[in-house]
Order: sequence, then structure tokens, then C-alpha cells
Amino acid sequence: MAEEPYKVWQCGVCGELYDEAAGLPEAGIAPGTRLADLPEDWMCPACGSSKADFVPYDA
Amino acid sequence: MDNLKIPVELAAQIYNPATFGDRNRVNEIFKILRRDYPLSIAEVPGYDPHWIVTKYDDIREITRQDELFLSSVRSKTLASQHAEQLMRDYTGGLPHIFRTLVHMDEPEHTEYRNVTAAHFMPQAVAKLEPKVREIAKRYADRLAGMAPHCDFAWDLAFYYPLEVILSVVGIPEKDHEKMLRLTQWLFTYADPELKRPGSNVTDPGEIIKTWDLVYAEFKDYYDKVIADRRAHPRDDIASVIANGQVRGCPMENRAAISYFAIASTAGHDTTSATTGMAMWKLAEEPGLLQRLKDNPKLIAGFVEESIRWATPIQQFVRSAKEDYVLRGRQIKKGDLLYLSYISGNRDEDAFEDPFTFKPDRSPNRHIGFGYGTHICLGQHLARLEMRCFWEEVIPRLKHLEMGGEGRMTESELVCGPKHVPITFEMAA
Repeated sequence: MAEEPYKVWQCGVCGELYDEAAGLPEAGIAPGTRLADLPEDWMCPACGSSKADFVPYDA
Repeated sequence: MDNLKIPVELAAQIYNPATFGDRNRVNEIFKILRRDYPLSIAEVPGYDPHWIVTKYDDIREITRQDELFLSSVRSKTLASQHAEQLMRDYTGGLPHIFRTLVHMDEPEHTEYRNVTAAHFMPQAVAKLEPKVREIAKRYADRLAGMAPHCDFAWDLAFYYPLEVILSVVGIPEKDHEKMLRLTQWLFTYADPELKRPGSNVTDPGEIIKTWDLVYAEFKDYYDKVIADRRAHPRDDIASVIANGQVRGCPMENRAAISYFAIASTAGHDTTSATTGMAMWKLAEEPGLLQRLKDNPKLIAGFVEESIRWATPIQQFVRSAKEDYVLRGRQIKKGDLLYLSYISGNRDEDAFEDPFTFKPDRSPNRHIGFGYGTHICLGQHLARLEMRCFWEEVIPRLKHLEMGGEGRMTESELVCGPKHVPITFEMAA
């Protein structure tokens, strides 16, 4: 079964993007880390909003 | 060793607008505070006691918890007891003259923010690039026409962000100068060159008298704009605000006027300050201009670092809704916390070489736009307009140096350069 493609998510408060394919190396999050796999207390690196504030990115 | 109370003679300096006319002095004061009084109490006569929050991590911890550290119940900016009383007198009991997003708590803050939020997300702002770039090109041409000398702040930086935001909002060009004047009265009420003519800065109530006059001017102007856009909606932000609804009702009038007022003031003044500061740095720092000319991809990083470097918003004040322990200190319910953004953005524990300007600083998680749900709504537009401007100017600049002494505004609230004399050569 094909793996689901990586998604890009956007913070609904500040607009920051989280790209699952890229991860967030500055915060020690490896490329390929899905949003769902980030810790529940993970915060938007730009504004501190919660993981739940991220929505699928609609360019 | 940190101490609970900051010596009055030290604390009083950061309450004085004149101090902020000397950025080096400001940096020295906060260096001392971060080292010796990272989270301590200032008891300056005439003011309620304030915790002075100097550390980056503490500012972020406070500002991401809007439910615990309130924005709406006390003055959001540093205010004396007399000034706070005047605000309540003038408004029938409110702790603010303006009731902008900055002055609201949840859930009201997000309800009002959502009226325009989609228009300021990165994907919406990206669509504005052709319009912004056209303005940037025009200002680059204007700059070239001033060579070999100009006062970059006064002649150009005050006007470019003003034109960008007011054209996005939908304010006709004939009124831009008026908006600039009101902005300067509001944010630089104590600066000898920019203050409201006739104001008396020795009067401790002057700031609030000026703010109330400015509010009245905005109300007179924007009540007409609201009526016009309700009758004849257009494709502009003024129409979005004028027709915006909160909980199914039109915005409360003071909040609606304030929505326009913040767009017409903070929407350009902070970007002007950052643009002026960036030019100052570009003119002073050996090799920086050539580095950017050689590698234009660095311009985005140059913009980001200039935001950290400038940090135009000096402070906001929050009040504690309940007891809270921060950095081992017991904050009590009702306590006031003065958040120093300029200090946070120079915090040695958060930034490597914080007093060095690094266009390639990465990551650059500064708090120049704030943090938490109150983070600046216009941050992506500000970045876009600065990037467009520098992309148009830097390739054409052949030579640049300071042509005299730069000078900062005397303001403890929004502070940036008011004079950046430069000598330059630029391709036509």
C-alpha cells in the first residue's frame, strides 16, 4: 500500500508553514516527520500556538 | 545575582521617552537589567509597580498565555497612574483610548482578528506583490533622484510603507500626509520634532490628551469611510473592516475606529522604523552592501535581521489574571508586567552575538512582531514591502555611507530613526 504523501500545514494564527517533508531541523525535527507524530505539546515555532491550530495549507 | 527591586534611578530611565533617543544607552540599560535584574520590580514614583520582563523566554512564556496575562483590563502600554485615570475619565471607564486588537482578550480578540485575518495570511499577501513592487520601484526611483544626499528617514522611509498600507486599506493619497501626522503625534508624542504642535510634554497627562485628540480625528475621518464602504463596498480592506461582523453584529464603534487607526499608524510606522534602521546599518556596516549585491538571496535574511535589529515596538504591558510563578518569582494576581521586546531581541541566551547584525542569522526567531495570538497581523505584508524595496534599491546602489549623524525618535513606545542622513550614488 502506497504511503500517504507528505503534507504542508499552516498555523491558523500566524501563517507559519510546517512542511512534513522538510521537518524542522532547527528544532531537531527530522525531515519526513508528520504533524501527527509531533508531540502534543509542540508549539508553532513562530507564535507558540498549539499543534491543533495547524490546518492543511491551501496555497 | 538578581535582585527583586530595580534601583529607581535605573528603572526610571526606561520610563523616559528621551532615553530611547539613544539606542546605545537603551542597549546598555537592558544589558544591566538582563544580567542583574532579569525579572524584577520597578517602583517608579507616579506609576504602579511593574515587573520588568527582560528575557526572551519569559516574554514568550507570557505572551503565549493570553488567558493568564491580560491585555484588556489595564493600559496595554506603559502609563502613569495619572494617565490611566485620564483614559478612564475620557472613555467612560475604559483603560484604553483605542480599542484595537492589541487591547483585546480572548475570545473577543480572535473574533475581531478573524474579520481581516485571511487578507493578511502569506498566500493573500503574496498576491499583493505586483502592486507593492510597483510602489517600491517608484520609491527606488525617487531615492535615485535625491542622490547624492538625502535624509533617508524623513525623505523616504516615512512615506513608502505609508503608501503601501494606505493603498491596501483604500485611503486616498491626498489623506496620506494627514495619517502620517496623526501617527507621529500618537507614537512620538514626546519627541521634540514629531510631537503634536502646542503639546506640553511636561504635563504628565499630555500623552493621553494627545491620544484622545488623535482618536477624535480618526473617528471623524473613519466614521465617514465606514458609512461610505457600507453603502458602496469595494475591493479594499476598508470595506472588509466597515462591513465586518462580530457575533453577527457590526463592530462596536470604538473598536471599528481603532481597527482603522491601527492600520493607519502601526501599519506603517513600524515598517518605516525598520526600513530606516536597515538603511542606517547598510550605510555603517563595512561590506554589508557588497555582500547583498553579490548574493541577492540574502535580502530576505537582511530584512528579517533588520526587524530584530530595529524592534520598533519597545514594550507592551500585561496584567496577571491569577498568581503565576515565572523564573522563580511569584507573580501575584493583578500584577503588571512590562515586556521589553528590545531586550528580548538582544537576549544573549536566545541569540548568538545579539549585538552583531547578521543577515544570514538562521534561525532568526526574533519577537519583533510579538508572539502568541497577538502576533502582528501585518507581519507578512511588512516583510513583503521591505523585501521588494531592498530588491529594487540594493542592485542600483553603487556607493553608500552615512552623511551625518543618525538620530532615533524619543519614544518609549514605538521607536525608530527619525534622521538617517546618507551620501550615496545610485544607478538611474
